[in-house]
Amino acid sequence: MNEATLERGLNAFREQVDAPVAAFFSSCVSCGLCAEACLFYTETGDPKYTPIRKLEPLRRVWEQEYTLIGRVKKVLGLVEPVTDELLQEWQELLYDSCTMCARCSLVCPVGNDIAYMVRKAREGMVASGNSPTDVQAAAERAVRIGSPMGVRYKALAAQIQHIEADTGLVIPVDQVGADYMPLLSSMEVINFPEYIESLARIFQHAGLSWTLCSDAFEATNTGIQIGSSDIARELVQRIVDGAERLQVKYVIAPECGHAYTSIRWDGPDLIGRRFPFKVLHILELLDELRVSGRLKTEKPSAERITFHDPCSIGRKGGVIDSPRRLLGLVSSNFVEMKDHGTWNWCCGGGGGVSANTDAEALRTRVFRRKKDQIEETGASKLITACANCRLVIEEGLEAYNVELPMEGLTELVAHHLVED
Amino acid sequence: MDTNTKTLGEALRRNGVTRRGFLKFCTATASMMALPPSMVPAIAAALEQARRPSVIWLSFQECTGCTESLSRSHAPSLENLIFDHISLDYHHTLQVASGEAAEAAREAAMHANEGAYLVVVDGSIPLGNPGYSTIAGFSNLQTLEETVAGAVAVIAVGTCASFGGLPKAYPNPTGAVSVSDIVTDKPVINVPGCPPIPMVITGVLAHYLTFGTLPELDHYGRPKAFYGTSIHDRCYRRPFYDKGRFAHTFDDEGARKGWCLYKLGCKGPMTYNACATAKWNQGTSWPVESGHGCIGCAEPDFWDAGGFYNALSVPTGEISRNASYAIAAGVGVGAIAAGINQRTRNKAVRQHAEVTIEDLEKR
Repeated sequence: MNEATLERGLNAFREQVDAPVAAFFSSCVSCGLCAEACLFYTETGDPKYTPIRKLEPLRRVWEQEYTLIGRVKKVLGLVEPVTDELLQEWQELLYDSCTMCARCSLVCPVGNDIAYMVRKAREGMVASGNSPTDVQAAAERAVRIGSPMGVRYKALAAQIQHIEADTGLVIPVDQVGADYMPLLSSMEVINFPEYIESLARIFQHAGLSWTLCSDAFEATNTGIQIGSSDIARELVQRIVDGAERLQVKYVIAPECGHAYTSIRWDGPDLIGRRFPFKVLHILELLDELRVSGRLKTEKPSAERITFHDPCSIGRKGGVIDSPRRLLGLVSSNFVEMKDHGTWNWCCGGGGGVSANTDAEALRTRVFRRKKDQIEETGASKLITACANCRLVIEEGLEAYNVELPMEGLTELVAHHLVED
Repeated sequence: MDTNTKTLGEALRRNGVTRRGFLKFCTATASMMALPPSMVPAIAAALEQARRPSVIWLSFQECTGCTESLSRSHAPSLENLIFDHISLDYHHTLQVASGEAAEAAREAAMHANEGAYLVVVDGSIPLGNPGYSTIAGFSNLQTLEETVAGAVAVIAVGTCASFGGLPKAYPNPTGAVSVSDIVTDKPVINVPGCPPIPMVITGVLAHYLTFGTLPELDHYGRPKAFYGTSIHDRCYRRPFYDKGRFAHTFDDEGARKGWCLYKLGCKGPMTYNACATAKWNQGTSWPVESGHGCIGCAEPDFWDAGGFYNALSVPTGEISRNASYAIAAGVGVGAIAAGINQRTRNKAVRQHAEVTIEDLEKR
């Protein structure tokens, strides 16, 4: 049996140093601008949360094994080695206090993609056994059961039955040859089944052929969160297998940030080939339907609403304009938060942080910024497009005793549909 | 030295210089030294009363061009008269005496004016072998040290005396050095140029006669009054430079129209001298006006500053060859480093043990 050891961790760090990483470390001018872009620094004022510093273990491996000066220093014993203690200390920095929201990557004046490097550094943390136990358990459930929350198809089937009975909608499962195959996050299955209902309503309204896949409904990818390409690959492969079995043309990523990243951007790289289907985010699909006039909606409502951009979908995924056009369709009183779109602030729970109880207190603390921004808008409802953001924000607002209803954007659009 | 008892004013009048001509000279000198007009009467009064100092002129490794510059007098100029009326007690080229009599004149002047005479030097001093240049059996170094001992100041006339000049040009076979390399305990005023402008030489002397002090000097020991601005800044062709109009050959349209000579190698931008304002040959013209770029003769090591016809922006060394070697070496080192790093990484990839959920925990 394998086991997580320091040696495996170091080898993983070595493996992860590629040309961009080497270029990034050599170009860092230690300006510290990334600190000001990081929620965990701005809300705590603790310089240990400076994003580039979180990469110290990876930086040491790069310096000591890939640079001439570092090698000479290593021979002379002038370098600090990467030890188990160091990695243990850095677990908090690489997991608890980083959501890989990539705001730091955006501000870096020399163009260092810090979030990319955090993702890579996590590979070494996983291989050396220094990943958070909660996320480990989630990964285990994802691989063994099929969902990080332990949701089996049975639970989904029960929800489907409920919805079909309540609404009279039809939710097709395992229909070979359907055009669209939406994925779900287990959070939607358990916490927000409204999303499934909304999907059914929208597909029926637009007259599209669609299907869920009984053995590939889970969109989340704990491998991406914990930082293991091996695990991530296995989970992506399941979706690809399911989509290929049903011969669908489109796979639709749900309202879940990292799920979109993993299937849309990382997926083909992980499995090493092009997908035979296209991947769209549900908001992209909805916007396409809007453009082709297949969404008939009632008069926009005047309720003051605001929108939280999920980092993985907005800043990292580029889905920024579609949600705004959809919001314009259903609301005449939409207000932006101060920093929005590319510059939004993270909810504080992405990148596996929300699944990690070690990080709970810190996550609540740094949520203050998002809370203030939401309150500033004076909106009476908060819309978002990520079930994880939604849960984190709901919990955060509760911790600060703020009452504010939330809704997913897909759900909101579904509510505004009018049938002829 | 009975000539010393007469004042400059008396001597000028005896030579038929009118009061008007004298004041004109004073005004010109004041403006050249950038003094306010109110100083003109002061200069006139001071020069009227000045006792003509004894001057000993020493010529070492030189071409006599500096003396030519001063003494060339198709028509006697005020500069010449002034120069006549310092007490020039020793000068190889100009003095009548020769041999022992000449050396005796030098020694007599030194004794009579101990601590008060000026030494003018043209030419550089060879340190490689004393025999390279001797006068009356003495090496230049010996003559200089002996003569300077009782002097009040030394004026190094010409680029050879000021900076080593042509004798010092690479590979400097005689080991030539400048006056200021040897004389360190006396004020040394450098009046460089190959040769210097006559008026600049007399201007420095006039300053000394007027104020009894030496003029303010720049970091090369040159009087700021004459060497304060670059040729380029005062050049009448400067507007063409600013408009980007250049002569590209000596017989193209630009050359005929009198455009900027920068691209033909004019060193005006890096040369500090008064040519553009004082001009040469009694104000007739100066090199740029006659169609040739400045060669930078008033600057140290101008002989070795690249070709006279290379534009300033053209590097002087073998830049392209050196750069290609450097690039080749850099590429080589980079390729080796990349190869080593690639090996390290490939090895790490080979050693990759697949991460499964079984081995997330440390055991």
